[in-house]
Amino acid sequence: MAQLSKFDKHMTAVAFAEAGEHETARTMLNEAAGSKKSPAKKHAPASARPSALKVLVLGVFSIGLYYSVFANEQIVTDFYTKGKWYAALPILTVFVFSFVHGAFASDLLSFCGIEAKKK
Amino acid sequence: MKKFVLLLMTLMFTAVLAPAGALAGGGGDPFLGEWNLTTNKTVFLEIHKDKFTGKYSLKNEAGEHELAKRGKTSLVSGEGAEQSVYTLDTSSGSLFVTTGGTALEFRKNAHFITLGPGNIAFLFIVGLIGGMVSGFIGSGGAFVLTPGMMSLGVDGLVAVASNMCHKFPKAMVGAYKRYKYGQIDLKLGIMMGASAVAGVLIGIDVQQKINEMWGDAGSNLYVSFAFVVVLVVVGGYVYYDAWKIAKTGGVEKVSKLALKLQSINLWPMITFKRANLRISFWFTVPIGFATGLLAATIAVGGFIGVPGMIFAIGLPSLMASATELVVAFSMGMIGSVKWGMLGLIDIRLTLVILAGSLLGVQFGALGTTYVKDHLIKVVMGTIMLMVAVSRGLAIPTYLDELGFMHLSQGFVHVLKNTSFGVMVFALFVGAFIILKAVIGGMIAERREAKAVEVNHGRV
Repeated sequence: MAQLSKFDKHMTAVAFAEAGEHETARTMLNEAAGSKKSPAKKHAPASARPSALKVLVLGVFSIGLYYSVFANEQIVTDFYTKGKWYAALPILTVFVFSFVHGAFASDLLSFCGIEAKKK
Repeated sequence: MKKFVLLLMTLMFTAVLAPAGALAGGGGDPFLGEWNLTTNKTVFLEIHKDKFTGKYSLKNEAGEHELAKRGKTSLVSGEGAEQSVYTLDTSSGSLFVTTGGTALEFRKNAHFITLGPGNIAFLFIVGLIGGMVSGFIGSGGAFVLTPGMMSLGVDGLVAVASNMCHKFPKAMVGAYKRYKYGQIDLKLGIMMGASAVAGVLIGIDVQQKINEMWGDAGSNLYVSFAFVVVLVVVGGYVYYDAWKIAKTGGVEKVSKLALKLQSINLWPMITFKRANLRISFWFTVPIGFATGLLAATIAVGGFIGVPGMIFAIGLPSLMASATELVVAFSMGMIGSVKWGMLGLIDIRLTLVILAGSLLGVQFGALGTTYVKDHLIKVVMGTIMLMVAVSRGLAIPTYLDELGFMHLSQGFVHVLKNTSFGVMVFALFVGAFIILKAVIGGMIAERREAKAVEVNHGRV
């Protein structure tokens, strides 16, 4: 039975290839061979849509961080450009902003329905 | 055991070279500019350099006098007891002026512009679009951001430093996203990142030597020439390859060169599981090195890194563009630490650009799941060819500065503005192609999903 099923899949893959659907044919052949999937997996793991509240909280947090920097821009600029070990300040700051604002941006896109292609 | 040795070699390589200073993206002459005494900011001195003769001069309240270069990090003026030595401390960025045994510390007076709504909007939009292109093709945006910031009045070095400080977190977020999609070979990215750092160091050295010999105009000519040659040759081939694939049904094949290199058994052979290939370590080194070299020259290493991974190592375009983000992160972080130690990062500019680019890079990353592999090459080839045109337009202006051509000031102005305009347009064209493909892909997916619901079965 397993062999017949494999044969079916091969023949179906041939039909798709002849019709010009090379991607589908390749996927079917990989499934039939039971081999690893194509290394460049294009499809994202399924994830739950974030709630509006979560997006709002992250957005407020992100805006809060930006406000705190720009409301004190002179002091921030003075400290961040002192050089030497003060270099840790801009590096740590961009890490913090990347996590917070990055998470907000990711959730905002998901909330708006803009997500990676599903399987 | 072998894996452990290789990873250890990679880590040691990076740790030894990183502190030597990855001033990627072009550093310029560190002596030049206005310096203020750390203990009294009203005391200043300016160091200039003649574009044609390469001679240094000092301007301060006492007047102007010539400086002679002594080694890589010192300038001298005067003789005997009246001699003053100006020594640059490359680790701290301070200039120490020693006269008669007394040393005074000066720090560079970098100009930090006032940010208004117009500047902020411009930086946000360019960050957003640059991020989108980066998330999609693995690089992009950097070549527009630095000149873009300078057009707002930002000092050259501050523009490079602030740009770099936004680049590595953007690359980190983009890499994380694409890692979740299974598109990154982390081992390859880290190994190439290490050799890219070496390439950056040598690239900076070459830049500085050219600057010493031919001044700023010579440096600009070298950079533009590198842009045109690399982008036309590599970009042209990438575009041609994408066209070939599109004609034959859109299935990407491993290049003959990559198959040949993979078949050569040269110890140590590395298996890259995610990429599903096995190749000698020595074939990954030149690509990483060339990436760093190009990053130091034109600020975008990915224009060599991504095609190198595709055509020489044999990665699919999707994986190459994703793995490049790991390389960009490595180079970017090391360079940012160095610029930060010199006190040249304007965190306000960095954060405004990040506000846009963190959104853009994630959109670009998820966009890769909707398109066929060869579209990456189409976008990359298009941008590269257009940027080559942009830099080609700037070459006559540098030849004019060096005295090889004579052009009117008005014409030079037109060429420079057109060059910048074409560069910005290149980014927008790339973004347009990505948006069109992604939106089309999303609409098609939604239609398919609706059709499945209606038919109650598999397509």
